[in-house]
Amino acid sequence: MSHQPCAIVGIGQTHHKKARRDVSFAGLVREAAQRALDDAQMTWTDIDAVVVGKAPDLFEGVMKPELYLSDALGATGKPMFRVHTAGSVGGTTGIVASHHVETGRFERVLAVAFEKQSEGNAQFALGSGKSGSLGAGGAFAPYMRSYIARSGAPLDIGPMVAVKDRLNGCKNPYAHLKLKDIDLDTVKASPMLWEPVRFLESCPSSDGACAAVFTNQAGGEAAAKAGRQPAWILGSAVRSEPSTFPGRDPVRPQGAVDCAWDVYGQAGITNPREQIDCAELYVPFSWYEPMWLEAHDIAEPGEGWKMTERGDTALGGSFPVNMSGGVLSSNPIGASGLLRFTEAALQVRGMAGEHQVEGAKVALAQAYGAAAQYFSMWVVSNSLDPFGN
Amino acid sequence: MSEVREMTIQFPYKRSLGPVVGAFMTALTEQRIIGIRNGEQVICPPIEWDPATGNELAHDFVDVGPAGTVESWSWVAKPSEQHPLDHPFAFALIRIDGATTSLLHAVDAGSIDAMSTGMRVAPRWKGTRIGHISDIDAFVPGEVSEVAGDDTGPAAEPVEMMDYNASIAYTLPVTANELRAEQANEEGRFLGLKCPKCGRLYTGGRGFCPIDAIELGHEHEVDLPQKGVITNYTIIEPVPYPGQTMTEPFARVMVLLDGADIVLGYQPTIDLPVTDLHIGIRVEAVWASDAELDDLASTAEGRLLGWIPTGEPDVTDPELVNRIY
Amino acid sequence: MPNADDIAIIGWNVSPMVRHTDKTEAQMLLEVCSGAVEHAGITRAEIDFTCAGSCDYVAGQAFSFVQNIDALGAWPPKRDSHVEMDGAWAMYEAWLRLQIGDIDTALVMGSGRSSTADPTLIYPMEMDPYYLAPLGTDATSFAALQARALIDAGKVTERQMAEIAARTRRDGKDSPYAQVTGDFDVDALLAEEYVNAPLRRHDLPPITDGACAVVIARADRARELCDNPVFITGFAHYTEAHYPGVRSLLESPSITLAAKAAGVDEGPIEVAEIQAAYTHEEPLIVEALGLGADVAVNPSGGPQAANPIMATGLVRVTEAARQIRDLGKSRTLAHSTSGPCLQQNLVCVLEGDAK
Repeated sequence: MSHQPCAIVGIGQTHHKKARRDVSFAGLVREAAQRALDDAQMTWTDIDAVVVGKAPDLFEGVMKPELYLSDALGATGKPMFRVHTAGSVGGTTGIVASHHVETGRFERVLAVAFEKQSEGNAQFALGSGKSGSLGAGGAFAPYMRSYIARSGAPLDIGPMVAVKDRLNGCKNPYAHLKLKDIDLDTVKASPMLWEPVRFLESCPSSDGACAAVFTNQAGGEAAAKAGRQPAWILGSAVRSEPSTFPGRDPVRPQGAVDCAWDVYGQAGITNPREQIDCAELYVPFSWYEPMWLEAHDIAEPGEGWKMTERGDTALGGSFPVNMSGGVLSSNPIGASGLLRFTEAALQVRGMAGEHQVEGAKVALAQAYGAAAQYFSMWVVSNSLDPFGN
Repeated sequence: MSEVREMTIQFPYKRSLGPVVGAFMTALTEQRIIGIRNGEQVICPPIEWDPATGNELAHDFVDVGPAGTVESWSWVAKPSEQHPLDHPFAFALIRIDGATTSLLHAVDAGSIDAMSTGMRVAPRWKGTRIGHISDIDAFVPGEVSEVAGDDTGPAAEPVEMMDYNASIAYTLPVTANELRAEQANEEGRFLGLKCPKCGRLYTGGRGFCPIDAIELGHEHEVDLPQKGVITNYTIIEPVPYPGQTMTEPFARVMVLLDGADIVLGYQPTIDLPVTDLHIGIRVEAVWASDAELDDLASTAEGRLLGWIPTGEPDVTDPELVNRIY
Repeated sequence: MPNADDIAIIGWNVSPMVRHTDKTEAQMLLEVCSGAVEHAGITRAEIDFTCAGSCDYVAGQAFSFVQNIDALGAWPPKRDSHVEMDGAWAMYEAWLRLQIGDIDTALVMGSGRSSTADPTLIYPMEMDPYYLAPLGTDATSFAALQARALIDAGKVTERQMAEIAARTRRDGKDSPYAQVTGDFDVDALLAEEYVNAPLRRHDLPPITDGACAVVIARADRARELCDNPVFITGFAHYTEAHYPGVRSLLESPSITLAAKAAGVDEGPIEVAEIQAAYTHEEPLIVEALGLGADVAVNPSGGPQAANPIMATGLVRVTEAARQIRDLGKSRTLAHSTSGPCLQQNLVCVLEGDAK
């Protein structure tokens, strides 16, 4: 059996907020799912299978919540699946959903990823309730320090990313943070949280959900004919590596490099900087923008920060990154990966509204998790053959 | 079975109910049970969607009960600390009058002999109701609702939130490797394990080499050096949460041990103000004396108090900062 | 019948099934992964995709599966995934993945140390957070409700339940992977007190720590590596509504749907390894699968003999595979379940190679 094309024909997300007190769990998830179904012009009964993803259940204190959500997601009488690959889970959710279609066994699959983390406390959950929790930022701060040292990047680069992503967020109606008055000075004046990372360089904690409808070639072509441009998956890949062994480089993890080249290979990309029009990368702390640009070989080692500094990664630049505002603007942890993946899809579908990259044809999305050891990535396009091969 | 460690995960979760569950909970405070209409059906307790199609249900609420019929029941002989009653009781699926689905709740029947499928039950309401499924203390045999204690009346505002205090106690076995590492720590030593295949070093508690996927044990043990150099670090601004005891910014440093290719990650420091912290400081391990051990707040480090500057000249090597692992 | 596109099981390994293990979950996994890879006659390096099933709350730690990666030998980095479900569903993900066609082999696993906490306190947390979890409704209470409904409807009797308990524990005597075995007298069992009426202690599964790993491969590769690969000719799972009060507890439509989609009725089934953790579930599951009285059910002893939650379903797969590879059967099935009163169910049909 071979790889059959897969299209994303419906995308939905919630308005991400610090706390969505107006909804139950189901309400939060359904909001995104209903939007995706509406976008795909489908109903719950059109869906053949549901794939749910979220980060540790300790965040909300509901174990295996997909069981309770089965009927809320119209999964009664259907297959329902739950993935959990730490921070990359949103991406993995999309990839597993796409596999359901690519095998030819399912025609229309709904992927949903969410987090309602305001019900608990993320720091608590990350430390499993122990004192002196590093939090996510504390664990990564040394990685960022290493990047700054090895690349020679000026210290303003992190704050520049923080400003750019938040200003992009102002153009995204769903983004949690809309800090329109943010600038370099306010970022640099904000309290240090995990040296060298400051408060305004760190992601928020958000409640939110994201959903996408995947279908096969026939479904994608039908949507295109009806004037609803699908996003075609040109390639997808995942990689995991162990976190702790002597000599491991968590700044340019081998898994990040391998995952990228796997995806590029599938998509026919030999020069990612030139052939990819824009990217949604999982940047929860500012310095991760140049770090991922380099780890995924979009920039040469030591050159990633220059892309940021030059304005290449700005919305109007030559390689826009995180046009949606990224994880720095909204971070419902379980959903963030799928948000990256669907925002990339929105770009090539021409549906990104105010944060649209003009003429985006090929977009890259990436999510990572744990100690920068889980990676999920995909490349989407509005054409099955954008490079004319 | 060697040693075990107790650990409790507990957290006071706060859940938002949304409009449908919220309406049900608010009604409970009014001693009312409501269901939601779905065509011919009345679903109680109400949910937000049609269980068959997934479609959103209109907020068409119906008062049901308060009495109902037991459709199935079990008898909990030894209630757990999470159960609604602390003496033997029944869990039952109760078809509340007017509903077409059944509600799960406790029946305080007194004895298993008083339970039967088809029996009639009615709610015993708590005197003080907050908008929680346990506002019904339990159902009791009969047709008539009762109130336990003084009735403080309905909620003043619509109920939108609920608390959930999850607490689970775990008894985790401590592996032989962990025990030996802890024993070494007790004696003021760092136990390492050397992979016989690739030669990499790991801290003693680890059971294996993840590169070669082979088990490491007693025969692979080495004593790790007690001196090293700070290669990288962060300074953390503490965040309050249940269980947190830190109040001032604290450092966590990576220490590359002298003459051993292993980095100990996220280590605490001693006598090193965060303002003086930098890469290259030579440090050595400081262990608590027996007297100090009693005072130590529970940390992951056991007897290790932290790493203290030795006073020797710094190591200058631009590659140091990359030794995070 | 197996065809060129099918995926086959080429090796597996099951850990000792014990009441309390001294090992970490990662250590258990290391052993079963090594064992499965060896049984399959390959090396870890030749594994193209890994997928694990485990649960943070069972482990008592957020991101617990991250440590488990260390057991995989994920260096160079591996294509790898994880589901917060039984290993049987991890196998489903891998089964789908291999059908994409670009890679050949996958290692799947399931693991759990249930001994570390009281199941009565953990499993309420997987129930509806508003209506059920706050009442501490545990899995055994739900099972008891379903048992009562079945007894009231004349579908099973307490005696039949005790007979199932005796039969499975007796059958388990032959299995190296059974924890609770022995010869039990049905009348003596029935004289015991109820634990959660109508369930007595013998109606409940044991608490078990254990792990399991399975290697699967695409047909061509499977035949290269193995003389008698066990083919997966049908694989499906379905879920039902969550709240038991909106379902009939007398039937399991998701099992019937899964059986149909997996093609159970397309040929005779000789052995069914089913995840009937509670005795009353056996006749319900067997009926929903559409199996006749001639099918041997849980000759391994089933979850009544050993119930390593998060691996139980995958162990059923290995037992169903063993019937074909080692015991001469041609067509068997494995079943796994999740959620209160058999809410979600998976069915896997296995066949020996057509020669």
